[in-house]
Amino acid sequence: MTQKPRTCHLKGIAASAGVGIGKVWILENSKITVRPEKIDDSEVENHLAKFERAVGFLTEEYSELKNIAEADAAAIIEAQLLILNDPELHLSIHQKIEQENDSVVYAIFSSFNEYIKIIEASGSEWLNDRTIDVVSIRDQLIEAAEDKKRELDVSDGAVVFASEISPTVMVKLSQIKIEGIVMRRGGLTSHAVILCQSLGIPCIVGVEWRPLNINNGANVVLDGSSGEIVVWPDPVEVNSYRERERMHLMHVEQGMKIAVKPHKTKCGSEFSLRANVEFLEELPRIKAYGAKGVGLLRTETILFQKKEFNVEDQVEYYSSVVDASGEEAVTVRLFDAGGDKLLDEVEEDANPFLGWRGVRMLLDKSDLLRRQIEAIYRLSGLYPKRIKMLIPMISCIDEIDKVKHHCSIVREQLAESNIPFDAEMAIGIMVEVPSIALMAEMAAAKADFFSIGTNDLTQYTLAVDRGNEKISSLFEPLHPAIWKLIKMTKNGADKHGIPVSVCGEMASRPAAAACLLGMGIKDLSMTTNAILSVKSLLCNHTLDEMEQLSRRVNRAETPGEIHALFDAFQRE
Amino acid sequence: MVIKKVKVKNEEGLHARPSSVLVKTASQFKSDFYIRMYGFKVNGKSILGVMTLAAECGSEMELLLEGPDEEEAADVIAKLFDNQFEMESS
Repeated sequence: MTQKPRTCHLKGIAASAGVGIGKVWILENSKITVRPEKIDDSEVENHLAKFERAVGFLTEEYSELKNIAEADAAAIIEAQLLILNDPELHLSIHQKIEQENDSVVYAIFSSFNEYIKIIEASGSEWLNDRTIDVVSIRDQLIEAAEDKKRELDVSDGAVVFASEISPTVMVKLSQIKIEGIVMRRGGLTSHAVILCQSLGIPCIVGVEWRPLNINNGANVVLDGSSGEIVVWPDPVEVNSYRERERMHLMHVEQGMKIAVKPHKTKCGSEFSLRANVEFLEELPRIKAYGAKGVGLLRTETILFQKKEFNVEDQVEYYSSVVDASGEEAVTVRLFDAGGDKLLDEVEEDANPFLGWRGVRMLLDKSDLLRRQIEAIYRLSGLYPKRIKMLIPMISCIDEIDKVKHHCSIVREQLAESNIPFDAEMAIGIMVEVPSIALMAEMAAAKADFFSIGTNDLTQYTLAVDRGNEKISSLFEPLHPAIWKLIKMTKNGADKHGIPVSVCGEMASRPAAAACLLGMGIKDLSMTTNAILSVKSLLCNHTLDEMEQLSRRVNRAETPGEIHALFDAFQRE
Repeated sequence: MVIKKVKVKNEEGLHARPSSVLVKTASQFKSDFYIRMYGFKVNGKSILGVMTLAAECGSEMELLLEGPDEEEAADVIAKLFDNQFEMESS
């Protein structure tokens, strides 16, 4: 214990931005001790009631968590709920209390242990698999029955070191002012990380800290933007982290100022930055970052979460997004999943990106398509003039007609059943396959708007598979050819007076966004994290400057030239 | 009483999520549901019971159903085994 503290540098994956300066607090699962204890007959009723209350309490707590959890975490919580309400377990606990006069705590403990012993003896991977943590449920139930909820003895200023953090613990931690979280496991999309981001808690994952014998209470600093951690930092380092913290807070503060600014260039020309949304957890960021509604609502998540995929569930899900968007519009994109993701399809596409996906798959699965169209139309009835529908993966003009045909059938059915809907709801298409960019003028006659998906457009135009590391340097969304296709798309749209937006990664690069504005594309949708930096650049330049930039970009021959133009523009 | 033989086809066996799906589905039916495997018999509506089977890929088991909706329940549950509990293969 009196070992001389030695400075130790660690690096992990940056998961949630911000700087933390505090003391190490190691999260361990504390052990519960239970002694066999008998009760009087007169106490039996009371102990049975305690058990029911404990189950009810935890069931409620988990159910609440399930609602805010992402798909993965929700499945875990679902399994915990099944254990809590396991009929055999209940039977066993009841018997022990009623017939053997065991106390509620001991009845829970021994009933669970019978199962745990068998599972352990089976040599199954179950206990290593933390997906269902039977031991932790047992302990939580005991605590609840004892009527004392275990408080985490974390104090303000702690930097929590953990293997991973369960959704329940994360919610508890979020109520304390902790300085940061370091986890051995946990992906960037894990529930804990998403919560950290929304709460502004610095977080670093993928750090193997256990072999380092870090002590509770050790001084520690961390930077959630770079993934750096220093245990027992020297005073110079602490100061440099204080400086980083100051800078970070300044950026956040400036960002918040930018968030409330009007969407206008320096010269007063208007533009719209909207949010790309995939998970419900992202909804609070729509307002926080001042997004003008949702420019791209991905609907794949709901398909994977809800197997039945019925109209009511969809309407409810979409409504929660519209509700979080103030008075602004929401563009709902039809399922853009490959056929291989569909549960009842066994065959796999050899090349899913060039295969059966998006509208191609939807047109073959007209049931699925109709139900989604119906849900979106019903939504448009609930939120008149605010809903748009977007068709992904269009590569032939006649695919637009086919989808519209389904739309007209759905409209007739809704009208017959007297269900309100917005008959004028805009139906637009993704421009992400080069064929449609080339045919933009004709496509514009059929679509109400275009939304350019630059990631797929890049991949299809440059013949580069994004997932292939050997050629990843060729994946270049700023390639002059992409800009030419965007220009063609815009020109085609202008001929028919339909609006164009960009919802790909390109829009989230500040200088590229400025160039798009210069080309007359003023409606951009991006991941919420990018909105402030894009907006900051756009607000500080005039439309003239952006037009000049786009003219230069259009003359460029190589991606390198465009990068140079963008770098110069950002320095101005 | 309906008895149906099934085989676990999931690569990872009757793991966390498949068990959840199984128990949740079975609980929607009125019929009693037991699973028999290697001489063990567990309540198929009890996730802890199913977990103790530690059934691996390739394990064979019998589904025993008795009650007003036994036929339908047997079909639906057997189907779950066939389509690997509607899990993504990843």
